[in-house]
Amino acid sequence: MSTLIYLSSSPYNGTALKEALDLALVFGTFEQAISIAITGDALALLIEEQAPSTRHGKHLHKLLDGLEFYDIEQVFVKATETSALPVSLWPGITALNTDAWLQMLDQHQHIYRF
Amino acid sequence: MNYSLFITGSPTASRACQTALDFAEAVVAHEQHGIQGIFFYEEAVAIANALAMPPRDECNIRAQWATFAKQHNIPLYVCIAAALRRGQLNQAEAKRHEVEHFNLADGFQLEGLGSLISLTLESDRVVRFN
Repeated sequence: MSTLIYLSSSPYNGTALKEALDLALVFGTFEQAISIAITGDALALLIEEQAPSTRHGKHLHKLLDGLEFYDIEQVFVKATETSALPVSLWPGITALNTDAWLQMLDQHQHIYRF
Repeated sequence: MNYSLFITGSPTASRACQTALDFAEAVVAHEQHGIQGIFFYEEAVAIANALAMPPRDECNIRAQWATFAKQHNIPLYVCIAAALRRGQLNQAEAKRHEVEHFNLADGFQLEGLGSLISLTLESDRVVRFN
């Protein structure tokens, strides 16, 4: 059984992304197969060299490098979205075309969307 | 089929908790279906605030959930981290954080996200209400 954490909320617009990543890490801690998909406003999470203050919220980007320690090795994005962004993104992502994105969604038994 | 409910919408700024209870009542009305547990996360943890007092001529969704859960022996889990972040403590957490008051309503229990993982593994379907 595999679970997907599907992120589409902005990392700076509330606590949704923080609480979504908390859930992903707990799935990893319990040795459950877990992947992450990032789209829409949540792509801001991936932008390199961001430096939020504590008032902006927790520096969630820094959590990305630690995902592998929880056996979270698949972080999917849509190639059509990321190719249009004029900024550098965290390198651990896998960009999928539309067909592969839909196939990826279909491969997960549970999808938690934030 | 065995269901669990994952509720994330605010009990005041959304209809998530109300719609979820409608769904839960429909599930238990059929013998072949059951509910493994309910997990409140994000803004939905406000459901368990014992100090929230809706007007008497309006639905008290907290009380309705507690009554339903007791009647059908269904656990009402509230994410402990999400609850503490939003000022909802049980007696043990109030003591741990050295504050005088606590406000977790009867019938609800603070649990870690591991309980949501368990519900996910033990249920045929997890249905989200936001």
